[in-house]
Amino acid sequence: MAADNGTSAPVDPFESFRALRDVYLENMSKVMINAVNSEEYAQVTGAMLNSSLTLSAPFREALDKAMLAALQQLSIPSRQQVVNLAEQLTNLEMRLDDMDAKLDRIAALFSATRSPVAEASPPVSRPSAAAAKSSRRAGARKV
Amino acid sequence: MMQTEELSASWPVFDEKLKTFHRLLTTKAAIGQTPKELVWTLNKAKLYRYIPVVAPEARHRVPLLLIFALMNRPTIMDLRPGHSFVEYMVGKGYDVFLLDWGTPGPEDKDLKFDDYALDYMPRAIRKMQMVSGSSEFSLLGWCIGAILTTIYASMRPQDGLRNLLLLTAPLDFSDRQQLTFARWTDERYFDVDQLLATFGNMPGEMIDYGSKALKPVENYVTNYIRLWDNLDNPRAVESWHAMHTWVKDIFPMAGGAYRQLIVDLYRNNRLMKGELKIRGELVDLKRLRANLLTVIAEGDHLTPPCQSETILPQVGSTDAEIYRVRGGHIGIMAGSGAHKQTWPHIDGWLGARSH
Repeated sequence: MAADNGTSAPVDPFESFRALRDVYLENMSKVMINAVNSEEYAQVTGAMLNSSLTLSAPFREALDKAMLAALQQLSIPSRQQVVNLAEQLTNLEMRLDDMDAKLDRIAALFSATRSPVAEASPPVSRPSAAAAKSSRRAGARKV
Repeated sequence: MMQTEELSASWPVFDEKLKTFHRLLTTKAAIGQTPKELVWTLNKAKLYRYIPVVAPEARHRVPLLLIFALMNRPTIMDLRPGHSFVEYMVGKGYDVFLLDWGTPGPEDKDLKFDDYALDYMPRAIRKMQMVSGSSEFSLLGWCIGAILTTIYASMRPQDGLRNLLLLTAPLDFSDRQQLTFARWTDERYFDVDQLLATFGNMPGEMIDYGSKALKPVENYVTNYIRLWDNLDNPRAVESWHAMHTWVKDIFPMAGGAYRQLIVDLYRNNRLMKGELKIRGELVDLKRLRANLLTVIAEGDHLTPPCQSETILPQVGSTDAEIYRVRGGHIGIMAGSGAHKQTWPHIDGWLGARSH
């Protein structure tokens, strides 16, 4: 449709269908919400999921066994071995975190008790502690 | 009847819209942009501290720790510059921390609420207390994060928790008629043990499908049609792109925690019944004595209001309030009206209790 000034306004090919489309979608939405809220939907989707897991189980087990055998032959760690290692690392990380917290408490206590002593004697430099603190994984890093 | 010249003139506009549409679907928006620093890590979890912008003497004394769900990125709290809850609270003078749970791997399949609430959270909080210099703190838990913070607050009330904010908290699972998820995960239909034995962790794709299937037409059709209709509106496009980027970032949920969610909570409502055991100890909600604000989204189809309304009589808090706001599960905090309703209310409530 040409505008009065003689230039053509952009034409949206969907404009004439928009109202009909929106009504259709609104009604479909209500129908689908009712459908997914039904017991039948829960029953069907649950059955489909359980069936697919049950049917695929033998293939997955066979694949896991074959993969484990192949990895052993190649002297490559299996997924479970890597998982075990990761669990050990997490436990180690927790212990390091606890040690870090204890060091923080000790440092705080040291700072609190050090103030009257510092006026009488020169400060003791602690480069190793500072270096350890800056290289600690939990140190602040801007992101 | 359309003229050939009009169609030819319209084609470049249509082509441009198609290209924009394609770009929005295939690229990621820049979200989570508020400056922060990493202060602590454990396994996949990371604790961030947001860089303060208010002078120290003007800041709130009590720091705020944000905890989101286990199966979505916490960047929803910091969606985009100019429309970010984190940015808002940092601007209001809060010392804001955020605990990012990270993406669980196969080695994390046995992680449970017990581990998150009694190992990860206390350690993160300990670090926050050291970094902030304050022994008292506030916790904000959203969605599954609200379950974790409620468990923590009930089991470790002596750690210094002063204020607890629960957003769209799925705590009460008694009204099963209103809970579609409860129907889908009924023990007659859903074998959670077989699923977790197969995959280890609960696959993110299945969680994503589950949440979208509650409103399938809206999520799979209308969402994209609405985008098409608003392609000429830069603000609407930017907002959609940011939200879509966040929604698409799916990852698994630790198997142990998922099993607890389904069996202990959805099927048996053990938390509200006082039967939930964490590390062999019953979770007693009466031990939760922190100041409590529960925010309920009246249009929430994921966590209907009935799941959060009954918490107040159960807890031991003397200062407790329910705040109801119009909006959906995510919309009350990340939607276009959040900065006018939810955020100011949270700031008003928390500010009065953070000195």
